Amino acid sequence: MSANDLALAVTVTVMVAGAAGTVLTSDVPRLVISLGTFLLGVAAAFLVMGSPLLAVSQVFVYVGGVLVLVLFALMMVRRSGDEKPKVATRHDLGAAVIALGVFVLLAAVLGPVAADPTPVVTAPNEVGAILLGPSLVAFELVGVLLLAALLAVLVIVKGGEDS
Amino acid sequence: MTFLWGLLWGLAAVMFIAGGAVIGVWWERKVAARIQMRLGPQQLGPAGVLQMIADVPKLLFKEDIVPDNADKPIFRYAPMAVFAPIAMSVAVIPFWAGWAPLDSTVGMVFYLAFPSIGVLGILLSAWSSHNTLATIGGMRAAAQMVSYEVPRSLAVLSVIVLAGSLQPTEVMDAWQWWWIPLTFVGFVVYFIASIAEMNRGPFDLPEAESELVAGYFSDYSGFRWAIFMMGEYGALISASLFGAAVFLGGYRWLPGVAGLAVFLVLAMVLITAVMWIKWTFPRLRQDQLMTFCWTVLTPLAIVQLVVAGVVALWL
Amino acid sequence: MIVAIGCAAAFSLGVYAVLTRRDVIAILAGAELMLGAANVQLVAFALSRGGDGAVVSSFALIVLVIAAAEAAVGMALVVTAYRRTRRTLVDEFGEVSG
Repeated sequence: MSANDLALAVTVTVMVAGAAGTVLTSDVPRLVISLGTFLLGVAAAFLVMGSPLLAVSQVFVYVGGVLVLVLFALMMVRRSGDEKPKVATRHDLGAAVIALGVFVLLAAVLGPVAADPTPVVTAPNEVGAILLGPSLVAFELVGVLLLAALLAVLVIVKGGEDS
Repeated sequence: MTFLWGLLWGLAAVMFIAGGAVIGVWWERKVAARIQMRLGPQQLGPAGVLQMIADVPKLLFKEDIVPDNADKPIFRYAPMAVFAPIAMSVAVIPFWAGWAPLDSTVGMVFYLAFPSIGVLGILLSAWSSHNTLATIGGMRAAAQMVSYEVPRSLAVLSVIVLAGSLQPTEVMDAWQWWWIPLTFVGFVVYFIASIAEMNRGPFDLPEAESELVAGYFSDYSGFRWAIFMMGEYGALISASLFGAAVFLGGYRWLPGVAGLAVFLVLAMVLITAVMWIKWTFPRLRQDQLMTFCWTVLTPLAIVQLVVAGVVALWL
Repeated sequence: MIVAIGCAAAFSLGVYAVLTRRDVIAILAGAELMLGAANVQLVAFALSRGGDGAVVSSFALIVLVIAAAEAAVGMALVVTAYRRTRRTLVDEFGEVSG
């Protein structure tokens, strides 16, 4: 087992541990911390696979943006008063069977064909050259999508205020 | 071995921030006193410099109160999550020609991305206090910090566009003196947005000591409170160093050690200017704060970015 | 191998979260788990098959941005629904209009 495989194993373990925490806990701050652990694990996996730009973007967009948004929304719809607010969950055998089935299916299909990646170190300017070169259309479409999402959020939130 | 070096650098960064915070408190008291025509600390040592040594044991020996109602483990460690990202962000600041403690190829984004983890620490500490005042203060701080991140990142982006690199040392190599007039608007936006990011006056309404009993950290005392304060001064030091480097040229003005001295003096001037602003301007209202961010700073930063982009085409 | 298994595990944990959580925000957190795991798997797959690092990164970057936009719209819907009905549990949203 090389140092790279070891690093990959560690980051994947962090990811799975964070994911398990996100699913199992019913306490708001612990859920957010677990989700943060998972997202940082994803960033670390990108870093190990040789793409620092993806890792930093993951931290920027997810830990700094989406995760704060999740915690913000959770805090907004609850009062942090004397009672400890729980995240409502109904653990259910059928759901567990389905999730296990998905896991077995994915692991059985992908496991044998997907060898562990050898890291390819990518400089950010190469990524920029791709984004503004061959995949320029996709890049511009993402810009349009983000604008649409921004306007959608504004319309949804303002519309809610009127009524 | 790499791990050990990383540990040592981390320790160095924490000591740097902590020491800077202790000096910063003394300096701020002197600056504030001068603005208000007082003398400030003067009993201990010349001009009260020994006051900073007296302050540290005072904070260390204060009782560490954890409210009964609080979510204890998170309440205890959330301050670290506020402080650690700020100490980490110092790592990518270029201090010397071709040298930064962590000379990453994506250093500029790293600098902008990591302090945003601190927002999470603020929200968690506010939530774990189980106190309505703290929760509201935390949400206001988070809203403010997330919003001001936008103009701040856009302002830094204009320098990145001019330099054509995300690596701080390469940005410094590419830096030219005429970038100062060219990116002046960007620098002002960066400066104002940084003040808002570190929750300092006149944008300190999430914590407003006198009115809101310190917002999100109202339940903290003793050394855990001091960690928040250190984080705030750390953000001030880090933002000033970064601004002095990428916007004002840092060490590029003079060769060798003299360049480092110029860089540090520029950063000190920025730190003092932030304190000056804090003790001069009255506090904004929450809606004014948000309106200012989205209708003044963000459009200005976008215009600056367009100008920088057009110039970069002819570069 | 280990990346494939780990990502499959994280993905199916996300599926489980979506199926069992009753709070809309926690369901969105489960969706984030699935998206993150899928993105890591995407990069790992491409690199293990000898893909160009820059192309892979740009693709994953676009996935990341779109997922973030989805999360933002989702949160806006949740907060608006809460403002109207004071509820955030999925079972309680029974009416289509109103």
